[in-house]
Amino acid sequence: MDLNQKRTRTVDRVDSVDPDLVSPESTPMCPFPDEVLEPVLSLINSHKDRSSVSLVCKDWYNAERWSRRHVFIGNCYSVSPEIVVGRFPKIRSVTLKGKPRFSDFNLVPEDWGADVYPWLSVLAKAYPFLEELRLKRMAVSDESLEFLAMNFPEFKALSLLSCDGFSTDGLKAIATHCRNLAELDIQENGIDDLGGDWLSCFPETLTTLQVLNFASLNSEVSFSDLEKLVTRCKSLRVLKVNRTINLDQLQKLLLRAPQLTELGTGTFTQDLVTRPVADLEATFGSCKNLLTISGLWDTNSLYLPVIYPACASLTFLNLSCAALRSFELAMLLIHCKSLRRLWVLDTVGDMGLEAVGSWCPLLEELRVFPADPFEQENVAGVTESGFVAVSRGCPKLHYVLYFCHQMTNAAVATVVQNCPGFTHFRLCIMNLGQPDYVTNEPMDEAFGAVVRTCPNLQRLAVSGLLTDLTFEYIGKYAKNLEILSVAFAGSSDLGLKYVLGGCPRLRKLEIRDCPFGNAALLSGLTKYESMRSLWMSACNLTMNGCRVLAKEMPRLNVEVMKDEDSEDSQAHKVYIYRTVAGPRRDAPPFVLTL
Amino acid sequence: MDGGTPAAGAGGGGSMLTKSKNKGNNHNNDDDGLELGLGLSIGGGLKAKEGYKILTGQYMPDLKSSCSSSSSSSSSSVNISASSIVGTKRTAAVHSVSPPNATSVVGWPPIRKAHRVTILANRIKSEHEDFSSRPETDNITNGHHLTVKVNMDGTLIGRKVDLYAHTSYETLAQTLENMFYGTCSSRLLNGTSEFVLTYEDKDGDCMLVGDVPWQMFLSSVKRLRILRNPKT
Repeated sequence: MDLNQKRTRTVDRVDSVDPDLVSPESTPMCPFPDEVLEPVLSLINSHKDRSSVSLVCKDWYNAERWSRRHVFIGNCYSVSPEIVVGRFPKIRSVTLKGKPRFSDFNLVPEDWGADVYPWLSVLAKAYPFLEELRLKRMAVSDESLEFLAMNFPEFKALSLLSCDGFSTDGLKAIATHCRNLAELDIQENGIDDLGGDWLSCFPETLTTLQVLNFASLNSEVSFSDLEKLVTRCKSLRVLKVNRTINLDQLQKLLLRAPQLTELGTGTFTQDLVTRPVADLEATFGSCKNLLTISGLWDTNSLYLPVIYPACASLTFLNLSCAALRSFELAMLLIHCKSLRRLWVLDTVGDMGLEAVGSWCPLLEELRVFPADPFEQENVAGVTESGFVAVSRGCPKLHYVLYFCHQMTNAAVATVVQNCPGFTHFRLCIMNLGQPDYVTNEPMDEAFGAVVRTCPNLQRLAVSGLLTDLTFEYIGKYAKNLEILSVAFAGSSDLGLKYVLGGCPRLRKLEIRDCPFGNAALLSGLTKYESMRSLWMSACNLTMNGCRVLAKEMPRLNVEVMKDEDSEDSQAHKVYIYRTVAGPRRDAPPFVLTL
Repeated sequence: MDGGTPAAGAGGGGSMLTKSKNKGNNHNNDDDGLELGLGLSIGGGLKAKEGYKILTGQYMPDLKSSCSSSSSSSSSSVNISASSIVGTKRTAAVHSVSPPNATSVVGWPPIRKAHRVTILANRIKSEHEDFSSRPETDNITNGHHLTVKVNMDGTLIGRKVDLYAHTSYETLAQTLENMFYGTCSSRLLNGTSEFVLTYEDKDGDCMLVGDVPWQMFLSSVKRLRILRNPKT
């Protein structure tokens, strides 16, 4: 192949290279034969690294595409299944993400799209030996699950996160037909729970299960079938049951599977004491490999202590289903010296967070969820002082998700001074437009402190009363920012302009209810192709502004979601993303691609 | 989260949240500027508060399904009303003077369905713990109440008592005696009274108060009844 041809051909990230022009020969520019290059490249797993590899030269591009086993598609509409299978012939694992993140909060109408079926039908022909499928925010029907179960004989791992459209009937198909299933991970989905008999569909011959997570399903399963399943699957390392499993049953399961590394319990209390607490405690003590515990529904001071013997080696404790009080959390954390990640409800209060600061010096991630998110009056919860207390005791903290009702600029500044290594800073002051409650000023300085002090910041969610100044700070200082979430903030177009003019690494921007208009949108014209997507809802965009953008940037899909009540000229919900697949062919009537 | 608040779900009427601009810093001066005016057009009882207040009237764990089959029409009508603030043409009335507190905003706070935990119905609070000097344990205003009805044989009008405000059977009995003073002649718990204190548990059975540990009682009690002692 002509060297000049190679150099002038640009292979950009969205990969529009025609696979037919691939050449298998190596050239003087590339001394490694494919037999050497491919095995070396097969050791590279990060998809970002692989993307870089593929840009080096034609040979590397080829070697990379033949050695890739896992493909990650962050936006299912950015590329078509045909293009993917055309480029990568030997894929064994696919990760697909669909709807914009705000669909988690009901901002995206149903039937918007992201149906996995069109992907499955193409994948079945190209990758009959596909082993893994991980879906996030995709529309998954029972038919799709049945198709999956019937058409991929080597299928091993299914992970569904925040998907909807299926029922437990679909799970029955998976359980029945996937003979080599190793992983079934069902999380937080809009699932139609028709009963628990899907679990009984696993054949007696299935012994390969390593991961089983059905914590988010509501129906009771057959305990005896579950127990038999757990007994015969000796490699089971992750087991997360649902709330219908009681303590007695959990005890039995743990005795069958002491090798577990991740455990999600069922209901963690008893009305009728059938077994002394000491027994349960001993069982937990015998689980020497536990790294993660979650579930713990309904637990209280009587039963929570049974997990203490397992706490010393725990690295992740998910208490977001257990409404603990401060002292209960404190007593528990005394035993959790290895803890790296902690999720709690705000029932633990500031005092609970002080205990976190005292007992968990290795903590890296903290998420505090509100127990009563809609409650306005008489809410306790956590405040700025709990936040500061954690930061004092946990210098390694780099990921925080914090829901609160009040905050101050000074507190946030102190927090980031104590923990300058933040990579993910998501602060949600639940009262809209809430200023610093001490000084009554906007919260601009808080987020200014965050972006100035934390050079590694990748993800930021802002809240509270914010003016354009916040965005000026973000644009100026947040050099590594990749994901930004904004709601009910800003004063004018300038806010968005600042962000689009700075933040060189921005990939995902999601905005709702901000006063940003067309001028701001168009100021980012050249930036959107380097981003995965932009969401703007309830801002000041008009159809004309969006049309201008669509016209200037043909490689973006500019989609406007219309609804009956809004004015014709207003662009009520706008979703913009780069794509090599052209406009969606499956757009519902309320989605207009401009 | 889900903007399926009862009002919005019912009528899809203009629900607007108004922002109080008095904390102004350089707010928008643009004509189409910061019209983040979402005001709730449901009637009644709007207290003036600073800033935005988000409130739904009651806790609704699964609004998506309760919001009239969450069909796209209903969810989008809610979405519209929460967002019909765009630009200069505000279609719904603006409550500019006194921002309502009983407002509802679609998808706010941003919590995924799985994290909306219904804890109130299931949480057992023990008042016996150490750290009891901490104000938090005495604080019952954090939303955790267990208020049950108390009916007494021969008395038409029932009472209500918050069980979480008590730490033991003794204090509960004392409170009940004080409530029904005059009709109870002696202590309720020791079996010598003309009356006996019973409760209805989760299974609907009538049980004698005092047999099980306090905590366990709290987890299964549904209502209290003071019955005439059949032995007297």
